[in-house]
Formats: sequence, C-alpha cells, structure tokens
Amino acid sequence: MSWELHDVAIMGGGMMGRSIAATVAQEGLNVCVKEVSMEEAETSKAELVRALDHEIARFGITTADKKVILSRIRWVTQYDCAAECDLAIEAIQEDFDLKSQILTELDRRMPRENPIVINTSTLSITELAAKTVHPERILGMHFIYPVSTTRVVEVVRGQVTSDEALEKALNFARLLGKVPIKVFEMPGFVTTRVVLPMVNEAMHIVMEGVAEAAEVDLALKLGYDFRTGPLEWSDRVGLDRVLNWMQHIFHENGEPRFRPCPLLKRLVRAGLVGAKVGQGFFAYDVNRRRLDRLEDDKPGLA
Amino acid sequence: MKILVLNSGSSSVKFQVIETDLERIDKATDLTLAVGQVEKIGMSDSRLKISIPGRKPYQAYSEILEHRAAINWVMNTLTDAEVGILSNVHEIEAVGHRMVHGGEAFASSVQITPEVVHEIEQCSVLAPLHNPPNLSGYYAAHHTLPDVPHVAVFDTAFHQTMPPHSFLYGIPFQLYKKHSLRKYGFHGTSHRYVSFRASQILGQELCDLRLITIHLGNGASVAAIDHGKSIDTSMGFTPLEGLLMGTRTGDMDPAIVPWLMAMEELTLHQVNTMMNKHSGLYGVSGISSDMREIEEARAAGNQRADVAFRMFSYRVRKYIGAYAAAMGGADAVVFTGGIGENSTEVRRLALENMGWMGLEFSEERNLTHQGGEGFISTEESKVKALVVPTNEERTIARDVIRVLEGVMPTFEPPETVW
Repeated sequence: MSWELHDVAIMGGGMMGRSIAATVAQEGLNVCVKEVSMEEAETSKAELVRALDHEIARFGITTADKKVILSRIRWVTQYDCAAECDLAIEAIQEDFDLKSQILTELDRRMPRENPIVINTSTLSITELAAKTVHPERILGMHFIYPVSTTRVVEVVRGQVTSDEALEKALNFARLLGKVPIKVFEMPGFVTTRVVLPMVNEAMHIVMEGVAEAAEVDLALKLGYDFRTGPLEWSDRVGLDRVLNWMQHIFHENGEPRFRPCPLLKRLVRAGLVGAKVGQGFFAYDVNRRRLDRLEDDKPGLA
Repeated sequence: MKILVLNSGSSSVKFQVIETDLERIDKATDLTLAVGQVEKIGMSDSRLKISIPGRKPYQAYSEILEHRAAINWVMNTLTDAEVGILSNVHEIEAVGHRMVHGGEAFASSVQITPEVVHEIEQCSVLAPLHNPPNLSGYYAAHHTLPDVPHVAVFDTAFHQTMPPHSFLYGIPFQLYKKHSLRKYGFHGTSHRYVSFRASQILGQELCDLRLITIHLGNGASVAAIDHGKSIDTSMGFTPLEGLLMGTRTGDMDPAIVPWLMAMEELTLHQVNTMMNKHSGLYGVSGISSDMREIEEARAAGNQRADVAFRMFSYRVRKYIGAYAAAMGGADAVVFTGGIGENSTEVRRLALENMGWMGLEFSEERNLTHQGGEGFISTEESKVKALVVPTNEERTIARDVIRVLEGVMPTFEPPETVW
C-alpha cells in the first residue's frame, strides 16, 4: 500500500481539535489546524500551550516534548492545507450543516484515496457522507476528551464507507496509541449511547431529591470504580454539549430514556453549563478544580 | 577485520566502523575508522553525520522513513568514493549490535540466529522502549548484509553473574518467577570495558582484582566487580534504580509511588514520567539535567543546584562504601562516563576522606587530570582510583571477534536450587 501517514489536517482548533492535534503531533506526525480566523487561531494556540503546561505540571510530558509538539503544529485559516494531507479530521461543534460544508470543502481538495474523518458522537456519518462526491472515504471517529489520556476511540462505518478507509482509520488510531472499537453507525454509537441514559438518570435522581449531587457521584465513583462521577463528568464535558447530544439522539430515535432531564435544561438555560463557567452541578475554580468536595471524596490511600 | 557496530534507537542509528582482531584486542590497538549517526528517522529531514579521523565531518539530509533505509544510507555513505572509507560493502566482515535487554536468557554476547531473535523478542516485555528498535536495526542490517555474521551484545549480560542474594528483591518469590522481576543492571558493556582496561593499567589479571566501576553519564550506575565477575550493580529491574541521574530519581522509598498517585491523582503514565524525566539533577535543582550547568549554577551560589550536586556525589560515595563492604575491600575504584571523566568536583566529594578503606585521594592528580586515562589516587595509596574513558562501541566490536573466534567468556549465573 503506497498510502502513508505523515500529515494530518484538523478542521477546528477548539478543545477537541487542539487535543487531537497535540496527540497526533506527539506521535511524530505533522499537523495543520484550520481555524476560521487568525484571531481564533491565536486563541487556539494559546489554549494549547496552556494545556501542555498543565500536563507538564502533572509530569505527563516534559518541556522538550512541548517544544516538539508545538513545532509540528501549524495553524491556518484556509482549507488548502488539506490538499497535502494524508488524512483530515473535522473537529468542530456538533452541527450538521457546518460539518457538511467542511466535508464538501475537504472532499473537493483531497486526493480521493485519503480518508476524511468526522469527529462526532451523535450525527449520521451516512447522511453527512451522502452530500459529498466520494462518500466511501468518509467515516467517523469518536475521540473522547481528554484525548491524550483516554485510550479508546470509536471508529464508525457509514453505510458506504470502504474497507480501505476503515483500515486506514484503524491504523491511524493505533498509531496514536489508541484502542479502536469498530462500530456501525447508529446514534450514540457505543460509549455515548450507554453513558447518556446513565447521566440522565443521575440528574433525575437529583431533581427528585432522592440524593444530593455530590453523594450521587460519590456512590458511583466508589461503588463502580468510576474515575469521575456522572454529574461531575457532565460538568466537565459541558452541560450544554451533553444536552445537545441527548436532544440529537432523542430526536433520532424517540426513546424516552434519552429525553433530557428538565433539571439539565434548566441549568443550561441559566448558563450554569459546568466547569468552564465555574458552576454546573458543582462549583469549580478558574483552573477547573472542583470546590466543596465531600470529606470522603478527598484523595488518599484506601 | 572491519566490523560495523550499530546502536539502533527508535528514531536514530549510531554506527562505527572498527578494525580489530585478537591481537589488536590484546595490545589495545583497535582502530576506529568512522563514527556517525542517522537522526530523526521517520521524518522528512533525517540527518546523517559521519566523521572520519583526519577528515572534515560530513553531513547530509534526506527523508529516511525506517531503519532499512537508514542502514542503506549508512552503507552507501561508507562506500561512497568521496566521503566513504570502504571500496565496497563486502569489506565489512561482521556486524555487532547493541541490545539493551537480554533478560535471564543471555549471559554473554552471541551470534544472532532465528532462535536468538526469538529470545530477544521474548525479552522485549522487560525493555519495551529499547529492544524493539534494537531488533529493527538488526533486521535492516541483515537485509543489507545478509552474508556476514551478526552478533548481539547485551547491556545486561555482564551482570548475569550476580548471585541471587544480590539480584532478588524482597517481594514475594512467585512474582520473581512469574515476571522475571529481579535486578538486571545495565551499562554492562561499559563496566566490562573499563574494568578490563583498569586491570591492564594496573598490570594485574582481572581475576585477581576487586573493582568498583562507576559510570556517570546522563544515566549513572556503579558495579562491584569481584575477581572479574559483577556481583552487584546499582541499576535494577529498570535503569531507574540506584544513583541520582540527570532526570531520574535513583533510589527512593517505593511507598512514595502509590502515595503520590493517590494524593496528586496521577496516572501510571504521569508517575512514570515524573520519576524518569522530571526528577534527578533536573527535578531537584529546577535548572538542568546537565552536570556542567549544575556546577556553574552552584558556583554562582544557587542553593538548589548545590544540594542536587551534593546528593549526586553523596550517593556515589555511599555506593563505593557499600560495594567495598560487599567485596570485603577493593583494589581500585574506576570512574568513567561524561561526568566521571570530567567532573573533578564530583570525584573529590565521592573520594576524599576514604582513608578508612585504604584509598588516599590525590587532590592534585584529580585537578590536573586532563582527559584520557590516569590515576587520581596518591602514589602510595593501597587502593587505587582511576579515570578510564569508556568505549562501548569498541567492546561491541571486540565481542564480535571473540564470539567468532570462540573465545567469548560467558558470565554464567551462579547455580540456583529453585
């Protein structure tokens, strides 16, 4: 096979795009990140530097690693960079029309054997692909934030995705040190489909006054060995995004277990969308560290 | 006989061409014909550097995506009419490969066969970052030079003579059996080379000497070489144990690991990186992992550089004492490696006031030592202290000869009852 992976284009330098870019660059590939404006690009770069510094403070990488990572990423504002890339990933917000528009731009510029990856947890790969000229090279990869430390990635086949494109995406995932889980398209795939009803249920419990939010989280953390409880997890993802996903899936399949909990809607309407604004189910400081943990939820040796 | 020596990392291949044979080994007249490396393998701007004694160093850039292309590039350069030193590839009569981990399977250097490759692959679980690229280098070189013998020289083999009471950890015995979890030690080729050279300089047989060899580079380790056999060394299951190093912790209470993971909520990856890349001279001083910069900062009055420096030297000293006791005394202490060969101050802190073990440190010799081999103990000192620059590539080339001539000593592990 003559196809080799050296250059990756990432559409969108938001939280997910940056995180993927850093992981790709750390594995020795060159990355170009496309943003809508130079201003956005600067912000994206500054946020990435912040995230890398945080990881240095957590001992995950060294200052030398940071230098290497940054040297392999360039930020651009035009789609043209994708023409020289072996693979492209779109990583913008969960918006069908915007994603569709990006796919068209990429499809027009990239050699037809190079895969185009949609990073989505709820949208239909098949439907997005159908609007392009080469739908067989389009597939989904669902990375889970934080990309650098989460080992799993769902690789999603649409109705007409080719075996070649799938194989390339699987190789790409393994190259990043991820474990790929192959799934056929269905709203929510595996991870999102399982986790959303669970967090929704946790929110219902709080709304009904059955238990305090902090206690719900602690029960699941200690009871089922979760690294983070479902409510703090939602806060960290962003309650607005969680609501968005639920609405998508509920709209797709009409299953009542995906009907967003009214409390979730209320918090989002109030702008209390989680860690990034300092308040969701819990309160957070500017470094997104959770405040007011229960005494039993403090780290320590069991 | 011209031997190609290869040290293959994941993104680099270091190489030397060395002319040697049994007679040259005996007289220490081995000739290094070329030294070089290929860097940034897998990238579009890979670089090849080569320096040949008496000529201007040569560099070239190209896109080299994997080891096979790198070795081809090396061979093409070596046989190039202008920059090379060989008329054709057949002048290379054998290849020596540095292998990091030989586990308990290899107690000496061996000619590589399919069975040997299989065994080395088995050892990869013990050195997942090093053995696989070492093997890639072998596959590539074997492809280019299929008709010559290839020999594997292991970092761990020399220390296989350690007795069980030295190599076992105080953990449940079944864990040793299940995972081969024990002390292996590293830098074996370096400890072997300098101990052999020291015996030649002292004019005595290696098997009549008790030596403490101290390799202080970016990684650092001490070995107790009792009558020619390594009986203990400071690096352990991994190169993390023992002395303080550039960025590695060296010895510490293992309880710190789970405690920190809990209190700082660190992942396994983070705690591993913390101990291997954020610690040591760099972590303590907050300045640098480079001893020269630590010494400069210390001279300028930086207290953390000073304490890092003292920790480093103190641990060297402590191991000298421990290994002298382990062997019931020592005949010589040998310094090597970048820091061991160059830092007069580390040597002084490690060796002064060692009269109790019969070692009279010579302040003057230490200060006036200018590279190369030489004594840093007084003329009268019962126990000698020396500096001997290491040469791992030469040891590898010599082992190729020894293996092919059938005179390779094996460092047999002692008989065990289990």
